[in-house]
Amino acid sequence: MSAPRDAANGMAVWLICCLVLTLLLTAGSLVIGTSSIETSWHWLVVPDEQSAVVLWRIRLPRTVGAWCVGALLGLCGATAQGLFRNPLAEPYLLGTASGAAFGVALSLVAVDSTIGELAWAGRLGLTGAACLGAVAATTLTIALSRGVLQTTSLLLAGIVVASVLGAATSLILLTKPEIFRAMQTFLLGSTAFLGWSSVALLATVLGICLVPALVWSRGLDALTLGEDTARSLGLSLPTLRLALLGMMSLGTATTVGQVGVVMFVGLMAPHVVRETLSVNHRQLLIAAPLCGGALLQAADLICRWIIRPAELPVGAVTACVGGTYLVLLLWRRNRDA
Amino acid sequence: MVEARTVLSCHDLTVGYGKRLVLDRVSLNFAAATWHAVVGPNGCGKSTLLRALAGLHHASAGSISLCDRPLSAWPRRARARRLAWLAQHAGVTDLTGAEVVRLGRLAHGGWLAGRQTDDDAAIRRAMMATGSWDWAERRLSSVSGGERQRIYLARALAVEAPVLLLDEPTTHLDPPHQEDVVRLLREQAHGCEVCVVSAIHDLSLALAADRLIVVGRRALIGHGTVREALAGGWLSAAFETPIDVVDYKGTHLWRPALDP
Amino acid sequence: MRAAHVAAMLMVLSVVAAPAAHAAAFVLRDDAQRQVSFARNPQRIITLLPSLTETVCALDACDRLVATDRYSNFPAQAEALPKAGGLDEVAVELIVSLRPDLVLLSRSQRITERLSDLGIQSFVLNSETYADIARSIETVGRILGNPARADVLERSIAAAVVEIGAEAVARRHGPRPAVYFEVDRAPYAAGPASFIGELLARLGTRNIVTADLGAFPKLNPEYVVRHPPDVIFVAAGEAEQLAQRPGWGELRAVKERRFCSFPSPVTDTIVRPGPRVAQGMQALAGCLARVAP
Repeated sequence: MSAPRDAANGMAVWLICCLVLTLLLTAGSLVIGTSSIETSWHWLVVPDEQSAVVLWRIRLPRTVGAWCVGALLGLCGATAQGLFRNPLAEPYLLGTASGAAFGVALSLVAVDSTIGELAWAGRLGLTGAACLGAVAATTLTIALSRGVLQTTSLLLAGIVVASVLGAATSLILLTKPEIFRAMQTFLLGSTAFLGWSSVALLATVLGICLVPALVWSRGLDALTLGEDTARSLGLSLPTLRLALLGMMSLGTATTVGQVGVVMFVGLMAPHVVRETLSVNHRQLLIAAPLCGGALLQAADLICRWIIRPAELPVGAVTACVGGTYLVLLLWRRNRDA
Repeated sequence: MVEARTVLSCHDLTVGYGKRLVLDRVSLNFAAATWHAVVGPNGCGKSTLLRALAGLHHASAGSISLCDRPLSAWPRRARARRLAWLAQHAGVTDLTGAEVVRLGRLAHGGWLAGRQTDDDAAIRRAMMATGSWDWAERRLSSVSGGERQRIYLARALAVEAPVLLLDEPTTHLDPPHQEDVVRLLREQAHGCEVCVVSAIHDLSLALAADRLIVVGRRALIGHGTVREALAGGWLSAAFETPIDVVDYKGTHLWRPALDP
Repeated sequence: MRAAHVAAMLMVLSVVAAPAAHAAAFVLRDDAQRQVSFARNPQRIITLLPSLTETVCALDACDRLVATDRYSNFPAQAEALPKAGGLDEVAVELIVSLRPDLVLLSRSQRITERLSDLGIQSFVLNSETYADIARSIETVGRILGNPARADVLERSIAAAVVEIGAEAVARRHGPRPAVYFEVDRAPYAAGPASFIGELLARLGTRNIVTADLGAFPKLNPEYVVRHPPDVIFVAAGEAEQLAQRPGWGELRAVKERRFCSFPSPVTDTIVRPGPRVAQGMQALAGCLARVAP
């Protein structure tokens, strides 16, 4: 059979392209910043002290961290689309983003507040509060949909939780409008403070999340044939759903804690992979993180370069790019139809 | 006919959707090396019966036993190796034919295990038997409905289970391929000693089976050989209208009453 | 003859008296380019910006205030007044029920049309730059009918500012310290074009943010590492986290803990372009003197 070799070749080519792109973007990130470092190899070998700090302590962890975040989002997005069998599914559909925003709002209010109960929210810091809020929202969604048995009720529960928490966050903002700018920054996403400790955390979580994804990738394949068929093949749907939802919650909550809400990467990365390759889920769950990582690296580069030395929020850049991509997709579909 | 042993049976099976009862205290035995066809009017519960027997639909009362053990007592994977199921409506997928058929081997190898050698052989056998080997590398979205149906059938065959439950296996197929499926089901039953239970819409095809299970709108009308069914007038009772069956060169055929 | 004389006298008197009858009427142009006419000095005033509240009270007209905005917390007399809204939402019903003669507000509030529909007079005053302070005080003085007091206040503020600035410059030996004023965590910095930036410039410091970046740019944190400040102005809670930002732990200002943080009442004097600007500047200068290298 020559066709599987072609398919494997296609995948191999794709993987190589992704890696090359990632390396180029990393190199580009090292060069672009508030001021371009002189393009001579001298700075790589013997940089002055300040350049060394900028390169190795700021730019490199920032771009690697952006890659890790993009990879996590791509992985969670591909998983969501496979689990819900819906091409519009994305990592935040369990209410993660709203939960994180609520946690952040509480934390910001707690900083100046005299209410004792809120003090712990202040101590957690924004990262911890966002993460905790995201996990709490996901738990609430799963509990609301009464277990993991029905896909539709999960989606609905996610919408409900997102709306309710969004309203609660707005109420908090009304009582203390001064936190609005900080909330805005968080909601638009920012890769500005990714250091090596963040990178270590993100990489660990990425590794942890890849395990259930790859173990259950064939299960996701079976799911495409229908739930009945999947069950008849010996698949335990509740276990699969629980494992993958848990993985999605962990991955998304971690990214939200580190960089805030970054839209569209989780939605786009699996789509880009599927447009250029025909894949089963095991291949998708490897390719989508690679694509997502490169996407977010590129967005981070753009947001740092366009109005340097000031910078745009990275979520704004991904929203623009993602929105454009979706418009192109729709236009192409209409044209073909 | 030699009495084959019973591999699948249900006793006082009662199945419903919420308050609506579809099957009420149905008791049936399905033997190995036999092709059973379930017939009846629309909505009488053919699919429901099959799904309940496969363990996919929860029964309100009664018991089902597979290979002399209660269905619920089987561990999930072991049961999946013994009972293969073909759904009436399959989902949309972008996998290749071979990948779909390979899914049939899930219960044998598990998810992390890579390709096993007997997997490849089983896949090849199943796809050759259904005549879908040519589309092993084609994406399912790019083949026709009939070709897709044959790949799904191959997936069910690849499980190589002693019990095969098929819900409308001849959907989308043109007459030559319907013939092929019927021949295949017979071959599975008589050649491979599989217990085949199928729900088939087309009466003439169903009448080629070894045993008929006739389900009416409200209850099970009867189960037995085709001759017993015809002698007992079960078909007319089930469909609530005279069903005319003729014997043509040793084959039972349904003759639609088109005369004015 | 006598009647003619009387008539002439009456005419002269009426001509002389007429302007006297309209003596309190005047017209001023506000910062929304409207010509606002006053029949008399307003006696019931609502202010919707803290710096305007402080200005009115500094001109000894605090008794005339009937309501302020939510953030006006100085002086204590103003804090006790009913609150008519925040920066974006205004409690129109409350304003109407208090029957004010005048509502003082800033340009960014969109309520002026609504108020004029309801027959309430409003006056827009910008309070964004240092130059706005003197202008506001003078204008409010004229509105209140207290121009002399306004003049005195203006001069004393200007003198205080000049003195603090001169003292700060004189006290320092060596080059101008580089400062970074962080407004928010993103990080948003205060550039030289902002009011805070102006105060810092008057103290003889050099802002690491350049003028072309705007008043409150959102910086790339790498910028601060590239242009290391000598003193960092930051919120108290955030100061402890600065060392954890990638690359910032190496900054001299972070290692030597040259931070300036202020409690909330002091911050009010720094960020409001109002009559307490000298106090704000004093706080900045005091910290600079303690902390600058």
